[in-house]
Amino acid sequence: MRTGFRSAMIAVAVAAAAGAVLWTQVRPSASQAEPYRSPRTADGTPDLNGIWQALNTANYDIQAHPARPALALILAPPRTGVLGLVRATPTELPAPPVRALGAVGAVPAGEGVVEGNEIPYQASAAATKKENFEHWLERDPEIKCFMPGVPRATYMPYPFQILQGTNTIVMAYEFAGATRTIHMDKVGNSPASTWMGWSRGRWDGDTLVVDVTDFNDQTWFDRAGNFHSDALHVVERYTPVDPYHLMYEVTIEDPKVFTRPWKMRMPLYRRVEKDKQILEYKCVEFVEEALYGHLGVIDPATGHVNK
Amino acid sequence: MKYRYVAALCTVAAVSAIAALAWGSAAAGNSAAGRTPEGSGWTHPRTAWGDPDLQGVWRYEAAIALERPSQFEGREALTDEEVARRQQIETEQEAKRLAGVEGAEVGRSSVAESPIRGNEYNSFWQDHGRPRKVYKQTSLIVDPRDGRIPYTPDGKKAEARSAARYGIGPYESFLDPDTGERCLTDGVTAMMWQGPNGGHNQIVQSPGYVTILHEEYRDRRIIPVDGRQHRDIRQWFGDAVGHWEGDTLVVDTTNFLDKTNYEWASVWTRPSETLHLIERFSRINADTLEYTITIEDPATFSRPWTAVIPISRLADDTQIYEYACHEGNYAMPNLLSGARAAKKKR
Repeated sequence: MRTGFRSAMIAVAVAAAAGAVLWTQVRPSASQAEPYRSPRTADGTPDLNGIWQALNTANYDIQAHPARPALALILAPPRTGVLGLVRATPTELPAPPVRALGAVGAVPAGEGVVEGNEIPYQASAAATKKENFEHWLERDPEIKCFMPGVPRATYMPYPFQILQGTNTIVMAYEFAGATRTIHMDKVGNSPASTWMGWSRGRWDGDTLVVDVTDFNDQTWFDRAGNFHSDALHVVERYTPVDPYHLMYEVTIEDPKVFTRPWKMRMPLYRRVEKDKQILEYKCVEFVEEALYGHLGVIDPATGHVNK
Repeated sequence: MKYRYVAALCTVAAVSAIAALAWGSAAAGNSAAGRTPEGSGWTHPRTAWGDPDLQGVWRYEAAIALERPSQFEGREALTDEEVARRQQIETEQEAKRLAGVEGAEVGRSSVAESPIRGNEYNSFWQDHGRPRKVYKQTSLIVDPRDGRIPYTPDGKKAEARSAARYGIGPYESFLDPDTGERCLTDGVTAMMWQGPNGGHNQIVQSPGYVTILHEEYRDRRIIPVDGRQHRDIRQWFGDAVGHWEGDTLVVDTTNFLDKTNYEWASVWTRPSETLHLIERFSRINADTLEYTITIEDPATFSRPWTAVIPISRLADDTQIYEYACHEGNYAMPNLLSGARAAKKKR
């Protein structure tokens, strides 16, 4: 019975393999063949216009991660000495400031977007990353509604719009109303370091390649404390793979923080809803109470006089 | 809050100064007279897909008061002599500024000459490395004919209260500074022509959209011009839909959020649920955008009013820069802790 089943399976497999060979011969374009060629704008460049969004959990943690109870955690101490209870190691529980959020404040799992899943931190930087993770609530610039930087802006859970003008491509992000101007023609250097970087673009076939420099050291890669210095250099590649998807590949280089360049890769999805627009997310007014509520004469949320 | 990015602003100023030299002297004449006559050789540029092309970096550079100053009461235009005199004053003030003179010493009385209050304080961080352009208009407001904002009695009171507390307070909490000091916005109503340190607007067009990036507060409008209708969603900047009338971009904006509960540096820029804007962007020659805005809001004004604003195109290589206002808003904690300390002292 079992042997017969196995023979049958082998037969099926062989047939399938033969079929696959036959199929690829009949339709060679389906797998290996000419890559997708994107439509062109009126001036002949690849047309990436549209509203795009990442659908992953990279903004929680760009590396592979299991689900966890909260972004801010405390360690419940081991419990011993009571008959019938053995908790030998600490247990992770939501930290008091985020406890009330329950499942809304928990972290969904994710496969990660880092090539090889390893971020090559220098030793001291690895320690900083760990500290950042442990002090997320005080340190993550997203909490303060600061501009998210690049590439984080791309994979935050908000859409962004690519608007291709003459010699200029605007990337308009919903989060914090952040905007980048991609200079497609010759442009001088940035006069100062910036949150969103200084972006120079070019076309490599259908791929938009953006070289981003002149960052400050204030932005992060995710809510897990992955960070960089002001020596960050980002090269992004936006490749249309069909009418509804861009493949986004980004190379991160920062000799002050990492031992070598490393890469992230993820698809971006076109928002196909009719008349979809980037809406306002002016989060400054959402964070003022957290940042300044305790500083004034009174806390406007409670009416209490600040000491 | 308004002091940071001095380095970037200095760069802007330097670029602007160079650009100013390139444009030559002030453009005399009212905006209508500035229209390119037929046969001048200028034709309206078009985008690759055939829309009128408004792309570039634009800035309001005139010294026209929003409301008509009392000395021009009953007159809509300056005489040629007055224009010449005004140009001379601009040139002299410019020389003083380039020589490092600041503030009142420059010789400008601010409110009558600036659309936005506060134009003269701390002039070191402002972008005045240029003579302002002189036009015949005696006020930006062309309707009503008296050139004054037609406030309702309540609107007038709100404006008087705002003027009295500007720069003075009280500042009990973060809700008490004006929206600009909070790094939110100074309002979409005046976005195209306000902001001495951020009055730059970059227009970028793509098929079906006109995007306006305003440097100050990084105010941004992505205006669909593809025939879609207004949606039922309220925003600070409302819901804008545009269409082309000939070479003129017409933008109709409704569905504003009610933010009248916040403090505004200028009450006439505040949005309410009844605010309705109609804007017309007409490129009347290579370097001038005639921007007309009609503002209707029974919550603040007794009737609609219209301003016509000549806006100048800057040199092709002009950039707008990142405006990280909230990210570096050291003024807010300092203001609040200062107010708290002052309260304790009393």
